Amino acid sequence: MSLKGKRILIAKPGLDGHDVGAKIIALALRDAGADVIYTGLRRSPDYIAKVAVDEDVDAVGLSILSGSHKELVEETVRCLTDLDAGDIHIFVGGTIPSEDHDELRGAGARGIFTAEMTVDDVVSAIDADLGA
Amino acid sequence: MSGPTRNPRRNLSRALTRIADADVTETLAQQDDLAPPSLPRIGVTGAPGAGKSSLIARLAQRRKAASGRIAVLAIDPTSPLSQGSILGDRIRMDAIADDPDIFIRSIPSRRAHDGLADNTADLLNAMEGHGFDEIILETVGVGQAEYTIRTLVDTVVLVLVPESGDAIQAMKAGILEMADIYVVNKSDLPGADLMAAEIENVASRERGDGWTPPVIRTARNDEDGFRALDAGITAHATWRAGHTDPDATRRARARYQAQGLIARRVKEVLDEEGADFLDKGQRDLFDALVARLGPDSGD
Repeated sequence: MSLKGKRILIAKPGLDGHDVGAKIIALALRDAGADVIYTGLRRSPDYIAKVAVDEDVDAVGLSILSGSHKELVEETVRCLTDLDAGDIHIFVGGTIPSEDHDELRGAGARGIFTAEMTVDDVVSAIDADLGA
Repeated sequence: MSGPTRNPRRNLSRALTRIADADVTETLAQQDDLAPPSLPRIGVTGAPGAGKSSLIARLAQRRKAASGRIAVLAIDPTSPLSQGSILGDRIRMDAIADDPDIFIRSIPSRRAHDGLADNTADLLNAMEGHGFDEIILETVGVGQAEYTIRTLVDTVVLVLVPESGDAIQAMKAGILEMADIYVVNKSDLPGADLMAAEIENVASRERGDGWTPPVIRTARNDEDGFRALDAGITAHATWRAGHTDPDATRRARARYQAQGLIARRVKEVLDEEGADFLDKGQRDLFDALVARLGPDSGD
């Protein structure tokens, strides 16, 4: 498994202030060889999309614990598309009820990661998706 | 998707990725497309934790007001174990991160050991011709080895903090003598006076080129300090225009770039060759290596 040479943005959209999960995933992705950029807390989808473009990332991982995952994913996809960057892959992690998964996939999420998964599972899924 | 997009900023951003990932052959092939370098370059260096990224955020806002569009290249260390990296400089630059007139790009240091990244020279050159007016380069901050930043930028700003007294001892023979401007950051902390006095002692020594580096104090809530830093950089640029030979600068950069390309090519060849190549003994190994050099040989 290697994400060597892949650039990944880990972002915290919305208002929840808990980023332990985001940081654990960021470190695990680095250990798998990726170059990881972390935005810090409480960023708007617009801000996240702009950073994703300037940093030319292959994927954006959104960590959301606030319950607003549907709105935040849709808005991030829309902002990326406005910047002609709709091809950047989006992943979502956090407290995401299983009944929302289909809708998030429909909105463009390529992977949905919850607390039931191990860190290795998450890294493997991102690795498989980015087709290293 | 790899063709050009309708978003010029994204096209630049992708070009930087191509350059950062390029091997030596590709790097050489891209040279003809580059505009001749003309943008002023400010280098900001100093130990980890000195506050380089936060300082750059404040500085970029000021430079933008005077100079126009600013590009920031921020280099962070690559893990030697995984080859991965956490590029964290942007977190400290959040005030400017979505400013349309400021472009920030985080760069992993990869294989380079001099506080820069493998292709820093090429990345700096690639910023030309995209409507920027000035480039700010932030380096990893590993101490002595960083004097190579001297070659690639026009003005070197060294950021120190009051508690870096012991670090000063270690740095004396290296970057400390190469800086054009000294900043004592976090100067509201105890020990700032002592630090500033020590640096002034170093700075007042004759450098041989006639420039006496100013020692500037900055602190989070002190606009005067950042104003003085901004003015100091402009003063150094003005002095430089009358006192340095652009041909000598160009040649020094060409030399650094050539040395870097050769070092990377050597690494590429050694990675391609197997264990028996390394078992030859140094003299045969060296001859075999020289025979294998050249971007197109042996592939």
